[in-house]
Parts: sequence; structure tokens; C-alpha cells
Amino acid sequence: MLDLLAQTGLNAVYAASYISLIAVGLVLIFGVMGVINFAHGELYMAGAYSVVLFYSDFELPFMIAVAAGLLFVGCLGLLMERTLFRPLKDNPLGGLVASIGFLMIMQALASMGFGVRMEHIPPVTQHVIEFSERVRLPMARLFVIIAAVVLLSALWIFLKKTRFGWALRAAAQDPEAAALQGISINQTARIAMFIGAGLAGIAGALTAPLVSVNPHMGHSVIVTAFIVIIVGGVGSLEGAVIASVVYAIVHTFVTTFFDGVIADITGLSLMLLVLIVKPTGLFGSADRA
Amino acid sequence: MLLEMKDVSVSYGKVSAVRNLSLNVPEGGIVTIIGGNGAGKTSTLRAMSGMVPLVGGEILFRGERIDGLTSDKIVAKGIAHVPEGRRIFPDMTVEENLRTGAFLRRDNDAVENDLESVFTRFPRLKERRRQMAKTMSGGEQQMLAIGRALMSAPKLLLMDEPSMGLAPVIVEEIAVIIEEINAQGLSVVLVEQNAELALELADHAYVLETGNLALEGPADELHGNEHVRAAYLGI
Repeated sequence: MLDLLAQTGLNAVYAASYISLIAVGLVLIFGVMGVINFAHGELYMAGAYSVVLFYSDFELPFMIAVAAGLLFVGCLGLLMERTLFRPLKDNPLGGLVASIGFLMIMQALASMGFGVRMEHIPPVTQHVIEFSERVRLPMARLFVIIAAVVLLSALWIFLKKTRFGWALRAAAQDPEAAALQGISINQTARIAMFIGAGLAGIAGALTAPLVSVNPHMGHSVIVTAFIVIIVGGVGSLEGAVIASVVYAIVHTFVTTFFDGVIADITGLSLMLLVLIVKPTGLFGSADRA
Repeated sequence: MLLEMKDVSVSYGKVSAVRNLSLNVPEGGIVTIIGGNGAGKTSTLRAMSGMVPLVGGEILFRGERIDGLTSDKIVAKGIAHVPEGRRIFPDMTVEENLRTGAFLRRDNDAVENDLESVFTRFPRLKERRRQMAKTMSGGEQQMLAIGRALMSAPKLLLMDEPSMGLAPVIVEEIAVIIEEINAQGLSVVLVEQNAELALELADHAYVLETGNLALEGPADELHGNEHVRAAYLGI
């Protein structure tokens, strides 16, 4: 029983890691640009397909394929900012509707380029860390956990300690007042979009060998990410991370001890409960909602 | 002239806010724009710092056209704006707010000096430098907003209703600060509903009425004129 608890705990840490990478990017984009990016799951999918292309097809080293995924998806983010979100800035729902369109285009492009079947990706490493006979952590999962800790710490330091990090936070709190301090709103939007998309891309790239890669894989991810950012408080980065951990623990344990459907129901119920008790989310404040 | 507005008009959609306004700000002066609600005072100020586009006219700062530039470019030219309602960054500390005001500056030593002089001018900001800005009182937030604007080392300071919502004793404090800042050579454009206060501080005044210039002149003349007081200032 103790073994099962420990194993499920490890699974939860892994799930929390990739969910928080995705959710934090989504929150960052919303905070700085005020756009709900429905295509965020497709950015994750694009990251996974970067690994399919560069690692499985071109047989480049895995880490290079991951770096390529980060860059490629980050640039996709820049493209979205320039062609969709900036021209539609004055329309409150414009960005959201355009991102739904972009989502469909991305899915169609992935289907045309790679087909709709699940991709097989050769395992990167077969190595497994064995804590005991029944408590095991595959190396590939450990990569994801390490990447999440490193990247989210780096993001935190960037936001708290650097000039552009401050600019991003200022723009998220009050874009007009930020512009009055000499902060370019288009520039902060570009930075937020590159980082937010890049995090989704790297999450997709790192998990690609562990999940089923297909053109519609972004769907379940975006639903989870939305639950997490609503629970955490829309606009709160800390809230997104903490809610990712809470959600991952609840979801993983319920899946293990009951089943996946009940886990999904529990996750959504958790969101409803938070919305009833604290409509701004656990860490959200009323003026951001 | 430090800043010249020539024939400026501002609209929000079909609603006209300012019509054909010409206005001058001399180097080293305090110019005030007064008038009632909806007179176009804030719109005039927002036009100066590129927060609303002009539908007509032009704005020159030190002889150079600045209309059509975005707000961040105008700050770089040397115009700082203390917006209506203070608009400090609530979830940043006092010190972070102040340093954000110096976002464009590369002269790090001078920035540190300016930070110290803001702290000397506003000792309460120094006491609370690590505190979140949202936890401060209205008067302290106004001081933070002024301090933040000073951190950009501007040539011209635009202030929108600095007395709004503050207790009379704090308003007095703010008035003294505006005079001190101006005495050190910074030019000021002051938008105020509190006409009495504005006319005491300013050298020259513009009175707006529903988007049109109703009257302009030296502040003390307007202040002494009974007709003006009754008709335009309500004091």
C-alpha cells in the first residue's frame, strides 16, 4: 500500500510538472495581453510534432529536437501575436475567436503533414530509477520534472529580477500606466507570447515520447489547463503552479484508486467548488477577473 | 515654448471631447487646465502623452512633432504623466513601482541618485519601500505616482487631478510638492477640478467648457476676476 501511494505520488509530480508548464504560459499570455488563447493546446501539440519530425524522422538527438520545438513554437507564438492578437487588440473577444480559428488550422496542418494516426516515437531512454520493486520513475519522466522546475524557476527570476520581467508584470497589472513609464506594449506582448508558447512547446516536446502524439492531443490538455487556471485564479502565475499541483494530485490519485472518468468528474467538481466558494480562484483578486 | 498644442481635436468614436484647442506650455512654468466634468481636461492631457489619437491639429514638444507617437515613445522624449486615479502597479512593491518609472534609463548611477531624492522628498515611500503598493493610503499612492513619474527624469510633468479623493491636509502637502518640483526647473501641466488650488499654483490657466476653450489668461488674473469665478469656476 505504501508502495502504491509512493508510486502514485511520483506520477502526480510528473503530471503537475507538465500541466504547470502549460498553465503558466496560458496565464502569462492572458495576464500581459488580455487574450484567452484557445490554441494553447495546439502549441503543445506543435511541440510534440517537432520531436516527431526532428527526432523520429530526421534522427537528430532528442535534446536538439526539444530545443527546436521550443524555438519553433515560440516563433509560432510571435506569429500569432503579430497577425492575430495585435490587429484585434481593441476587440475584447477578437483574440479568443481568432485563436479558435488558429487551433483548427493547426490541427488541419498537422493532419495533412503527418496523418491522423498516432505517431510512434522511439523511446529516448529505457532507463528507470527504481526506488523499490514497485516504485519506479522512468528517466523520461524525470526529464519533464527537472525541466519544469528549472524553467519555472528561471521564469520567476526573470519576472522578479530583470528589467523586462518588471515591464511584463507592470503591463499585466495596468497596460496603459505601463506605457506611460516607457514600456512598449507590443514588446511586452511579444515577450509574453514567446515565453508562453515556448513553455507549451517544450512541454509537448518533452512529453512526446510518453503520450500518444496525434493532431488532436491538444484538446484534453487545454481543458485541464483551463480548469487549473480557473482554480488558481486567472492572472495569477503562482496560483497556476499551485493549482497544477493540487489538480495533478487529486486527478492522479482518483485515477489510480477509482478510474479516469471519475477523476475528470472530480477535477471539474473541484473547479465548480472553488468557483462557488471563491469566484476569483484561490489566488486571484477581484480587479483582475 | 516647451510644448505647443495647435488646433487640437480629440474624439472618442463620434463623441467629440476636445475641439480646436491651442495651448502653450513655457519652459519652467506651471500651466493649469481647469473646467467642470466632461470639459475635456483629461482628454487634452491624454492627447499630450499619446494615449488618445488626435482627429486634428498637432502637438510639438521642444519644436518636434510628437502627435502620432505611442505613449512609450513620448516618455522617451521627456514627458511624464501622472494619470488620473494614480494608476500605480498594485502588486508591485513601492520600490519596484519607482524603478519601473526609470524603465527607459540606462544611466544607472543617476537612477540611484534620483531614487534617493524621491525618498528624501517622500520619506513615507522610503519607510514602505518593500510594501506592496496596493496596501498604501490614497495620499501615499498619489506620492508614489508622482515619484514614479519623476524617476523618468522628465522635462515636463503632466498631472491629472492629483488632489482627487484626498483629505485637505494631504492636498496641501501635494501642492507644496508641486511647487518644489517646479522650483527645481521642471515644467508642469496641471489638470484640476479644484480650480482654487490650481489657480494658486499655476502661472497661466486655460478654462475648458464642453471641449472648447472658454477662457485663458494669467492665473492670478483669472483668480481675481469675480465674473470668471462665478461663471466658470464655481468658486
